[in-house]
Amino acid sequence: MSATEPVTEPIIRMERVTKNFGTLQALREISLHVHPGEKVVIIGPSGSGKSTLLRSINRLERIDSGHIFVDGQDITDIRNDINKIRMEVGMVFQSFNLFPHKTALQNLTLAPMKLRKIPRAEAEANGLRLLRKVGIEDKASVYPSRLSGGQQQRVAIARALAMNPKIMLFDEPTSALDPEMIGEVLDVMVTLAREGMTMVVVTHEMGFAREVADRVVFMDQGEILEDRPPQVLFQQPSHPRTQKFLSQIL
Amino acid sequence: MKEKSVINITDGAAIPLKKDPGLFSAWRIAFFGSLSVLAYLLLSRPKPYVDILKFLPDGILVTFQVTFCSIFFALFLGLITGIGRISRNRLINAIASTYVEVVRGIPLLVQLFYIYYALGRFVRVPDIVAAVIAMSFCYGAYMGEVFRAGIESIDKGQMEAARSLGFNPSQSMFYVILPQAWRTILPPVGNEFIALLKDTSLVSILAVADLLRRGREFASETFTYFETYTLIALIYLLITLILSKLVSIMEERLRYYERH
Repeated sequence: MSATEPVTEPIIRMERVTKNFGTLQALREISLHVHPGEKVVIIGPSGSGKSTLLRSINRLERIDSGHIFVDGQDITDIRNDINKIRMEVGMVFQSFNLFPHKTALQNLTLAPMKLRKIPRAEAEANGLRLLRKVGIEDKASVYPSRLSGGQQQRVAIARALAMNPKIMLFDEPTSALDPEMIGEVLDVMVTLAREGMTMVVVTHEMGFAREVADRVVFMDQGEILEDRPPQVLFQQPSHPRTQKFLSQIL
Repeated sequence: MKEKSVINITDGAAIPLKKDPGLFSAWRIAFFGSLSVLAYLLLSRPKPYVDILKFLPDGILVTFQVTFCSIFFALFLGLITGIGRISRNRLINAIASTYVEVVRGIPLLVQLFYIYYALGRFVRVPDIVAAVIAMSFCYGAYMGEVFRAGIESIDKGQMEAARSLGFNPSQSMFYVILPQAWRTILPPVGNEFIALLKDTSLVSILAVADLLRRGREFASETFTYFETYTLIALIYLLITLILSKLVSIMEERLRYYERH
């Protein structure tokens, strides 16, 4: 392996990844490449393994066999420091998971200060800039319990961005939100995509997939059945199960 | 007007009990009752009672020393045990769980004797040190269960969020989980503290000059057994009543914060 790799090298490379929960095969020999700057949206029926796939990328879910390379490092190799790798991979959860004992701004500054050793003043300035970016600078000193779902999720996105990651993972970021709040979160994600962030998004928001995705991956029963640009996948789904899923959801 | 009530909390204003049981609460009867009895005894029969009381402060000091030292080490041991009990590492988990099972199955008095004499076979330590080791060992197991319950009460998404940012397991515990768990942990820790204080009376058997031991020394010289033990019981009662009041105030405050 050469020390300097070409830019076109995939930043996420999953090779024949398998994951079982007891007798259930959550992931069956999944292979997936994501290049820097790409936006990949993963869709599929519930229980298809799409969340498991996403969570395996930063090893929140340990895989049984196969390899996952993130930014050139094999995360299944225990000699690689997973905590260092995770600092480069931001994650946004369905249930926000903000730290309730910290204010919005403190949620953003905790990890950069403790892990990247950034001085408080700098971390706070950066945190405020991110809160402004997600449109809730005025809530900086408010605790999460006083924020709406949409506001909480925007803080959660900003919290992940505060570590200045190379990749952002979104695990059904709008599924726990009231309908009127979905738009404000998607707007933030669209902005992020336009800025060139590498994104892997599990979602049921087909509008978002159409607008933002470079590729849409359809999963069912632990397998990737289709991996195409959104125009192609939505217009002419080739697999019957994709057709069935799209007809149910659209 | 909402803002005003928030300011009241940060000012540390007294927070009223949700339901005041009034003048005849059990605590008030016990507290003021024992205070009155104490005052009556000291004033009406100063001959044995004031003499006894003068003899006891050293013992009260030792009781508090043993209590505070033991609770300190028990909290430390409890934190490790609690984390060990939820560890996915089988060996660590087995060690922590076995420790808890063993300690819970042996009476504290037997543990005291055992550690005292087992320790004595290898090293010569002051009696009070042996007592603190034994008390800490026992209460560490109870505290372990308190910590385990507290940590388990935190949504597992919190740990995932911390880990996903790059915190390692102990950083996640320290910065994210424990600061949230202390609200659940603090009230039972307060109760364990009171139980521990009462149980320190057992160390008098190991020649540690605590409150009870000092009383026995006085009584056996002056043959005022009844008077001495009356006073000792009252002192223990007053101390634990005050402590339990502090714990319930603390619980009440925690609940108040949770609602806001």
